[in-house]
Amino acid sequence: MSEISVNTPQTPQAEKVLEVRDLTINFRAYGGLVQAVRGVNFDLHRGETLAIVGESGSGKSVSIKTIMGILPNNAIIESGEILYDGMDLTKVDEAKMHEIRGHRIGLVFQDPLSALNPIMKVGKQIMEVLTRRGMSRQDAYQRALELMRDVGIPEAEKRIEQYPFQFSGGMRQRIVIAIALAGDPEILICDEPTTALDVTVQAKILELINQIKEERNLSVLFITHDLGVVAQMADRIAVMYAGRIVEMGTAEEIFFDPRHPYTWALLSSMPDLETYERLEAIPGTPPNMIHPPKGDAFAARNRYALKIDFKREPPMFRITETHMAATWLLHPSAPKVDMPEGLAARIARMKEAAKNVG
Amino acid sequence: MFKYVLGRIGAMLLTLFLVMTLSFWVIRLMPMTIFENPEVSPEVQRRLEDRMHLHEPMIVQYYYFMKGIVTKGDFGTSVKIRPGLQVFDIIKERIPPTMLLNFFSLLISIPLRILSGTIAALKRNTWIDNVISFLIVIFISVPSFVFASLMQYVFAYAWPIFPTLYNAQAPTIWAAFRSMLLPIIALSLNPIATIARYLRGELIETLSSEYMLLARTKGLTRQEATWRHAFRNSLVPIANTIIPLITGIMGGSLVIEKIFAVPGEGGLLVDSILGGDHFLTVALLIFYSMISLVTIFVVDVSYGIIDPRIRIGGTK
Repeated sequence: MSEISVNTPQTPQAEKVLEVRDLTINFRAYGGLVQAVRGVNFDLHRGETLAIVGESGSGKSVSIKTIMGILPNNAIIESGEILYDGMDLTKVDEAKMHEIRGHRIGLVFQDPLSALNPIMKVGKQIMEVLTRRGMSRQDAYQRALELMRDVGIPEAEKRIEQYPFQFSGGMRQRIVIAIALAGDPEILICDEPTTALDVTVQAKILELINQIKEERNLSVLFITHDLGVVAQMADRIAVMYAGRIVEMGTAEEIFFDPRHPYTWALLSSMPDLETYERLEAIPGTPPNMIHPPKGDAFAARNRYALKIDFKREPPMFRITETHMAATWLLHPSAPKVDMPEGLAARIARMKEAAKNVG
Repeated sequence: MFKYVLGRIGAMLLTLFLVMTLSFWVIRLMPMTIFENPEVSPEVQRRLEDRMHLHEPMIVQYYYFMKGIVTKGDFGTSVKIRPGLQVFDIIKERIPPTMLLNFFSLLISIPLRILSGTIAALKRNTWIDNVISFLIVIFISVPSFVFASLMQYVFAYAWPIFPTLYNAQAPTIWAAFRSMLLPIIALSLNPIATIARYLRGELIETLSSEYMLLARTKGLTRQEATWRHAFRNSLVPIANTIIPLITGIMGGSLVIEKIFAVPGEGGLLVDSILGGDHFLTVALLIFYSMISLVTIFVVDVSYGIIDPRIRIGGTK
């Protein structure tokens, strides 16, 4: 186990389609500068699903808005780069960005109810992406029909002429996905795509995303605050807290061998069918990011915080080739601290279940 | 859509009927003496009053009033302003200047307000927005007759490039238009400002909407997204404000027509109310509400064209 520099690539074997390096983003607000993203690093590999998990305000949505180049005007990219296809997306101009948005990188929004233009036919909203690239109207119409069938909308011929208000929430999200797919992107970013939907519809949408990912060999960046959703989707998981990635690893590593106290807390607060103890809520509230605390941002809410957590921010410690976490507990001279017992018991149960299934 | 239009027409006719009834009762219940001229003999007076059914109970008069309108388009006879003339003909004669004035005022104000509102929204929080917003506040808060008098002073007296008053007998169209320009501007300022402010707010809201973001992520440029998605959506609530805009211009023209001596309906209405010519007043009230109703109808229908949720009758 060794301290690593943040710029070291994590997994050399897979092909990277997107690299985010040391991204730092501030927002001008009335109270001062809000440090929304503070030095985030991650890679997206071809064909994988990377989930970014974190609570509201942890900087996950801001990170993906930066990738899409749709940050609001009061955001400042302090430093860092987003490498895609030999370009740094933080530096390319608007004109070039139009080529990338929609055509190379597609985005699925959180709330399908407000993401569609209420007074434009859904077919037209899908076709817009296609006709912009020089496709004729007839071809675009046919393609839009295909896309609607691909995302599982029955009676596409009839539905293509309808308006968003004539669709249910789940169906609207399918339209939004169809729009994201229309440009035939290689990266699909999903920003909490199921948060606004009914639980019964959620599973279907997740299934759909998995299915189209397989069919089109997409690389998916999946943003959520729901670990339950992540379990079904992710190959790798990055846990974000207060604008930083605090732990990152394969889904198995995060679920079965979590190392960061924040990840422990997240997992402990996740309801499941076999846990009979009280669910552990995370005490306190996220820090004010205008004045982030000295040291580890999570220290004040952390039962296992060491003295050094209040003084110096922990670096990333590498645990395995793919697994790393930013907590002083991993330092060789740190006292040995185990994860909470309840969580350990739960993980043991999950492992057992996983063995039985697969 | 057809059903929607039919429904609007029905509602319009019902409103018109109510307006006619209400104006009749309110105005005609006011005391009135038709003939103050002592030279008219009582015998002639009596016979004229008989012909106008003035000795019958009000409800019977109301019957004759409605019957005249429905069967013959007869709104009665003027008794004070232009005695003996059909009210309908008096109004008809006065329509062109009023219509021209209101029409031009609308023609000028609609593009201007859309332009200024859009610019203010797109350049939000810059000096351009501040200048526009400042002008908007001035134009909203200062009444139109102040601007009318001010413009008369500046552009007709101190620096005489326009005539002071409207010239009904202008030799050329250009001269007529030139004499109309000041009242048109005076009438337009307030509506431009009101709607521009409203549009600015609407557009700012739609510009920050999720579907604008989605449009951007589709690869549309900012201009394309603004034009195709934000602009049309911000017009939906704006369409509704055309109604107060038109009634506002009409209301404003009551005063403005007086100031610039425009021989239109506005001046006529003021005269007929002051002169106690009740037949004329009732007919003018109906005339004004007709215009409002037609406006509302047009706006309702265009609403349906802009917004499919209204046309199709969606529940959400």
